[in-house]
Amino acid sequence: MFFLLIISGLSPQSVVANDRPNDAGGCVIITWDSVSDTSIDGYIVLRQTLPDTTFKRVGFTGRLKNEFEDNSAVDSERYVYRIATKKGEMYYYSPPSNVIHSSPQFFHTGRLNTLIAVIIFTFLLVYFVRRAKKGENLFIRKISGIDAVDEAIGRATEMGRPILYVPGLGDIDFPSTIASMNILGEVAKKVAMYDIPLIAVNCYPVVFTVAREIVHEAFLNQGKIEKYKDDYVRYLTESQFGYAGAINGIILRERPATCFFIGPFFAESLLMAETGNQIGAVQIAGTDQVLQLPFFVTACDYTLLGEEVYAASAYLSREPILLGSLKAQDFGKFLVLLILVFLTVLSFFNLNLLSFLKVE
Amino acid sequence: MKQRLPLFICLVVGLLMVIQFYIPHPVSVGFNSIINKWVVILSAFALVLGIGNLVSHHISKIKKAKADRWYSLVTLISMTLMALVGLVFGIGPDSLYQKIFLNILTPLGATMFALLAYYMASAAYRAFRVRNIEASILLASAFVVMLGFMPIGQFLHPYFPQVAEWIMRVPNMASQRGILFGVAFGSIATALKIILGIERSWLGSGK
Amino acid sequence: MKWFEIVSRIDRRIIYSLLTIFVIIPFFLKIKIPQNIMPQTERLFKFIEGIPPNDKAVMLSIDYTPQTMPECHPMAIALLRHCFKKGIPVLGVSFDPQAPGLAVVAFNTVVDEFNRQAGSRSDSLIYGRDYVYLGWKSGRVAALIEMGEGITGVFPKDYFDNATDTLTLLKRIVNYKDIALVVVLAAGDYPQEWILYAQTRYGVKIGAGLTAVMAPKYYPFLQTGQFSGMMSGMKGAAEYENLLVRYGYATETGKAEMAMNSQTLVHLLIIFLIVIGNIGYLATRKESVKRLNG
Repeated sequence: MFFLLIISGLSPQSVVANDRPNDAGGCVIITWDSVSDTSIDGYIVLRQTLPDTTFKRVGFTGRLKNEFEDNSAVDSERYVYRIATKKGEMYYYSPPSNVIHSSPQFFHTGRLNTLIAVIIFTFLLVYFVRRAKKGENLFIRKISGIDAVDEAIGRATEMGRPILYVPGLGDIDFPSTIASMNILGEVAKKVAMYDIPLIAVNCYPVVFTVAREIVHEAFLNQGKIEKYKDDYVRYLTESQFGYAGAINGIILRERPATCFFIGPFFAESLLMAETGNQIGAVQIAGTDQVLQLPFFVTACDYTLLGEEVYAASAYLSREPILLGSLKAQDFGKFLVLLILVFLTVLSFFNLNLLSFLKVE
Repeated sequence: MKQRLPLFICLVVGLLMVIQFYIPHPVSVGFNSIINKWVVILSAFALVLGIGNLVSHHISKIKKAKADRWYSLVTLISMTLMALVGLVFGIGPDSLYQKIFLNILTPLGATMFALLAYYMASAAYRAFRVRNIEASILLASAFVVMLGFMPIGQFLHPYFPQVAEWIMRVPNMASQRGILFGVAFGSIATALKIILGIERSWLGSGK
Repeated sequence: MKWFEIVSRIDRRIIYSLLTIFVIIPFFLKIKIPQNIMPQTERLFKFIEGIPPNDKAVMLSIDYTPQTMPECHPMAIALLRHCFKKGIPVLGVSFDPQAPGLAVVAFNTVVDEFNRQAGSRSDSLIYGRDYVYLGWKSGRVAALIEMGEGITGVFPKDYFDNATDTLTLLKRIVNYKDIALVVVLAAGDYPQEWILYAQTRYGVKIGAGLTAVMAPKYYPFLQTGQFSGMMSGMKGAAEYENLLVRYGYATETGKAEMAMNSQTLVHLLIIFLIVIGNIGYLATRKESVKRLNG
């Protein structure tokens, strides 16, 4: 009797098979109650494809796990699973699970919260852009870093020295690189207007091609295309410190009057900003990489903090529609903060709804 | 037309990519996979343009006999040499390419990164001054964090590592999250503005 | 020039020279400063400690470059030692074009070390059975997403030009489902992309080994549980080396431990410079107030 009890104790119980939710099909999740014996080797997962009668091994998992994902499932087949506890050379089998078949889903329910957020935010954006279009005056706080752009360009004009524009170490899939390209467009317009040499240096080829187009178009739109030089936008290297080294060389040799460091920056930020500081250039930096902000604040005259980088293009162009979008951004942030505070307060009363914010 | 076509492509592809994020079906996954492969292929074409620009810039510098033309010459020779060595002798583990990489590029890169220590020391010396209350708080926290993360910190006082860890985990993280919220909204807004054609500076027109 | 003006305006070249001397001194003076282990390093160690042998693999995304090698390379060595000692298979990948050369050195160093002590083929580490280095791939976001469907699809050939579907290890390690943990060793923003594209989509566990400059950015990810542990800079590597010794996986610590001594002295120098700079600054301010009043 005692022997039998030990055997049943080692057989996994409550074996349940479910289709993995929110996937492209081809996967079944099997769960079971772990056995209490900690000296077992692990669990073997066995599968029966109906109408076959035999169970075949599909996987093995360590003793700490009581879940297995069978990624070899075929959507058109129906399966039954059993789990066998392996201890040395002995196997202890569970009863069979429910019949299951895997299937793909058409909507990812784990991402419903983000969909709702995107829809609300899009509505906010459209609403504020419409208000701005109607000519409503929307208050935008002063951003001194962006206000200094004109001053910095003016200084370069007076000194007859170039402007250096560094869009950072991000490829085009970085949102802040795109924001930086938007700012480059505005800076290039002013550069074309005042006829100052520009050096825009890039580390990713795609960013280089986009930057070149932007600067070219800016000159075209200002009616100064004859002043545009291919040399204004340069490709350097993808190597992080090779890029920083090349920029330091450009700063020391060509001695720009103004340096813009706007975009995603990493460990190389201080190397470039300190070199610019050494030659006494006016420096305007901006990044969404929180960690690099202290370095820029230390070595640059003005620093755009995080989201200010995204606001800069709208602020510089003074386009009412773009300013409207900034308002939507602020309102969205306020809404999220309200939700967070509300859910946090609820969690003090043991009502934990914060998990609704989790994105799968 | 020159502006409308890119805006239209941006709108269609942007919306499709947003939609596919919410659909786990194999058709949607396949579409995502195709788009990602296209990105890789397009990047390769852009690289050709990038290298073309690098070569033409440095050749024109050499032709104009500028004072710093020697740097351009070194760049062009190094680039060509590395490409040739890789193409002719391969890039396997014991190849000449790997030897040059490990024995020249590695120390050069390490040297550049090491310079950061020098710049940090001089920047810290210049910036950490007790000019006002905020600067003093910043200085005090910097001291605690530096000592706490140094092995010697725990010998000065066993609480140093814990306080340093707390500063990193609580006040530092709180401020980071504040900025990250703004950044997240900024990037969502930028993406939406570009997809919806509200932001057009990236086309160079600004209108 | 008065003393306080001198100490508040030290020329940067003097600072650079002092720094150089302080870095070099510990190489000649053999000192041992015991390490306190930060919780995030211990968390990473314990996560790997909990992975059953010969089951799921650990994927090392080796994305450090020659520039950041001194900090990240000891991490790679320590992680490989830990995994191999525990019998955990290792897959290596790189998304930084400068990384493969360094990744191969890391694998070779540890594999040679193990195989020198091995008595038989079964004790040895065999390429394709116990570890595979897949090499570099461009378009990392696309690759990160694609690997969730199948690793061999993204890397049809490994770094050494072997067809990956012929390798024993990759016959059972198909996609992220078979990866117990991905450890990203990098100086750039690679870990964030792993979280964005591999973790949020496929639920893969992520750990990291980052340069000290980058690490603070990732503390929020530790708290939210998105990171299963992290090594921060040279100190993190030294801590991991110490943990390997403490748990009996190694008899002595590695290069990171030695380099930590230089780092400690440099930190002390910076603290000293900040202190004297402030003394000078306060004295200058006092003097100018006096002058104004007098």
